[in-house]
Amino acid sequence: MAEYDIAELERLVDGQLPWPRVQEIMKAPKDVDRFDKWLQILQRRVSWPEPILLPLTPNLFIVQKGGERIVKCRCGHEFGDYRVNWKLYASIYVRDSAEALGEVYRGNEQPDPAWMQLREYYCPGCGSQLEVEAMPRGAPPDFELLPDLDTFYRDWLGRPLPDRQEFVDKTPDVIREWST
Amino acid sequence: MSAMLTTERTTLQDQVAETDRLLRDTGHLFGLEELLRKQDDPGTYEAVWHILLNICNTAWAVGCRVSSSAIAVEGGDALWGLHLPTGEAVCTSKGITAHPGLLSLFIRSLIEAGYEDVPGIKHGDVFENNDSHYGGIHPADFDAAIPIYYGDELVAWASGVSHVMDSGAIMPGSIGFMNPDSFADGMPVTMEKVGENDKLHPWYEMRVRSRTRMPDWVMGDARGRLAGMITIRDRVIQLIDRYGLDYVKDVMREYVEDSRRYAVRRVKTQAVPGRIRKSNFKDLAMAGKRVIMPQQNIDCLFNLPLEINVSPEARVSFSLRGASGWVPFGQNITPPAIVSALLNCYSHIVGFDMFNWGAIAAWNLETPPPGSWANPHSANYYAASGVAWAPAVMWMSSLYETFGRAYYTRGYIEEVAAGAATTLTAEFSGIGQYEMYVAGLTLEQASNGAPARGMADGETSAWCIYTPNADFGNAEVTELYYPILYLGRNIQPDSGGYGTYRGGLGHTAVWMIKNSPGVEYQCGCAGMRSKVVANHGMFGAYPTWPDRGSYAAGTNVKTLIDAQQPLVHERGDPVTPDLAKNIEAEVLETNLIAPFVTPQQLHEYDLVIHPISGAQALGDPIERDPALVRDDLNRGWTREWVAANVHGVIATYDDATKEWSVDEAATERRRGEVREARKQRAVPFRDWWQQERQRVMAKENMADAVLTMWRSSMELSPDYGSELRAFWQLPEDFTF
Repeated sequence: MAEYDIAELERLVDGQLPWPRVQEIMKAPKDVDRFDKWLQILQRRVSWPEPILLPLTPNLFIVQKGGERIVKCRCGHEFGDYRVNWKLYASIYVRDSAEALGEVYRGNEQPDPAWMQLREYYCPGCGSQLEVEAMPRGAPPDFELLPDLDTFYRDWLGRPLPDRQEFVDKTPDVIREWST
Repeated sequence: MSAMLTTERTTLQDQVAETDRLLRDTGHLFGLEELLRKQDDPGTYEAVWHILLNICNTAWAVGCRVSSSAIAVEGGDALWGLHLPTGEAVCTSKGITAHPGLLSLFIRSLIEAGYEDVPGIKHGDVFENNDSHYGGIHPADFDAAIPIYYGDELVAWASGVSHVMDSGAIMPGSIGFMNPDSFADGMPVTMEKVGENDKLHPWYEMRVRSRTRMPDWVMGDARGRLAGMITIRDRVIQLIDRYGLDYVKDVMREYVEDSRRYAVRRVKTQAVPGRIRKSNFKDLAMAGKRVIMPQQNIDCLFNLPLEINVSPEARVSFSLRGASGWVPFGQNITPPAIVSALLNCYSHIVGFDMFNWGAIAAWNLETPPPGSWANPHSANYYAASGVAWAPAVMWMSSLYETFGRAYYTRGYIEEVAAGAATTLTAEFSGIGQYEMYVAGLTLEQASNGAPARGMADGETSAWCIYTPNADFGNAEVTELYYPILYLGRNIQPDSGGYGTYRGGLGHTAVWMIKNSPGVEYQCGCAGMRSKVVANHGMFGAYPTWPDRGSYAAGTNVKTLIDAQQPLVHERGDPVTPDLAKNIEAEVLETNLIAPFVTPQQLHEYDLVIHPISGAQALGDPIERDPALVRDDLNRGWTREWVAANVHGVIATYDDATKEWSVDEAATERRRGEVREARKQRAVPFRDWWQQERQRVMAKENMADAVLTMWRSSMELSPDYGSELRAFWQLPEDFTF
């Protein structure tokens, strides 16, 4: 079974490993301790103390904050319960006109704004572009990944989390609150 | 040592039932709770696997050469395989890996339909199907199988599939996007015994000759399939002579169960349990264009939703809940074909030491909404499937991103991939340079850019969603098949989206019609978008742009050549394309919504500009390493305005050294300004939600195709409709 030191994994993560070495890593049986080293790498790169439970994207992490599990940006901005689509607490800019789309797509490269809108989700803290959605009007935002964290830690990793939270999408609860 | 499944003296139907029971009762294919042959002698187990791989790949080489069509010889758009008596693929060649599932189901369907009794199965028989009503994908792909007997026992099947040049459909060629119904789909071969004693029946050839436009090539493909299958059969018999019947029967089953175990293990060790969702949309805008039937004068938007649920046991379930309705074009697909498409995608994203049927037992596809593009027959039994892959490959594109997200969480960054490229096809039909009728597909679409990886750009012009051996063929050979000359085949700058890592770039072919009294050009859809872009802004990247075609008819190109004036070799600037700048023509189109068929024939010196897309990007574009942007500028792979506006990289060009250099301080300032500008122009999501809700209720600035799509999605999947209404807090009876 392969095993890599953290320095090499950091170079992999940063796109600094030579391609032949990356290919060797791709072809080899996977290293079983990758997740732990991955968390170490990421934890060292953020300035806040909350332990990372699961990285979602290069910018967003599910972290343990006291008794809560929340989504947190690399910059420290917090988005709330990980079972609510974090986009509900992001900033959004929507390109739904030829003029706005034209800043990204010009001339014969431009989509039709009557058919779709380009939604850009930013971190309110650092202005990072977290996700971009190309959707027709009417589409709810994608809740891309809702992990079953307790099953993952308890059954797949063999080390249960200290508390237990129901695996459920809580986004509809927030929407209901907004409408009352 | 023999597997738990006993095959002697039982009918194939009994074996199928027993296989199903054993999987249900034990959770293991064929009840194989242990892989005894593997445990006993892993070396021989591996060696025999590689012998089987070589046998299948030899069949591919033989079959493609026996065939003579551009698609097989130049593109290798075919596949051969070895199957268990009950149909499950054991081992396959390289080629179109979308098919092992279909071929497996085809053989199983022969058994379930009672073919052991009527018409009977014996050595030398050849069976074939291309009918979507009976498990085919689209009529251009002919799925074939022959039984392999050892003594008097049916011990395996050999299969072969190839994509023919002309399927005999209402329009020439094999990409039947315009077929209005299944009657227009082309020449059907419906679960038939098409040959005996290793020979095709004469009436099979008669039908090919009277019902397809390119019968020599279509028959060449049929003979190629048969030659490849006989190659497999003869060599498998030699293998059994050497290793013994019991051993070969045992290991064939173990390879399939081994593959199932691998798929489960990969998910459990590299992904996470939970729910993954990705919506995606694909347009088919045909209103006002040349169509076949009046009801086709419409614009369509497909809803291609993907939901994946990974259970605590690492079992993966796929759902198409919310898929929109069937369309009066050739872009409807049946559930068995989607199963096979999923297997194709699994071969990319899960990857296998042993690629075969096994993975299908590791997951479950929820029955797609009846009446949708993914399950049309309950609503319209005659829905066309001329190019059924089209919506399926767009849907499968989401599988790359969703699994990429799962792998990312565990840190397997080298396995992360963004979404796929699109498939825009080019077909020509008319009188060719040999003064004979010609119709067929170029292979340009078989060489897209590869998706961005978690730590690198995708590879350029080196990837294809439906085959792992991406190959767009030689330009010079393509010129021998069709009355066209290449004026250009160039990497298309910025065609891989905009992100921290971009997708591999696509390319653009520029063709000039030559040596023909007139040909049609079909800018076809085998999985493209033209009105919209893909919903693949993975981790903050911008998706690749839409597919648009260009052509010019009645040109001054001959005059320009004679005068040694500039022609057209690439698309050029998106606002002032080279075609418009350099060429005068009676018809000059530089921004056509695909797909389309030229309304007039093209003649000598007319031009076609055909783009092949790159794949999707990953990550915030202002976090792209400025050195990568500089490299792209130096290679002509990105443009200065993209570098500055999208990536926030300020670079200057040195006329003396002919190279770009990055102003790092100015770049840092620029990127800070971009972040600040984002914060200034954005609003809290909740504010937008409140305003957008009003616009949704008012159906403001929503094209008819969008409204029609939502109506059908919500009607065919009522719970999906309820969820959509709940999100926008719409009345319970609200419809678009």
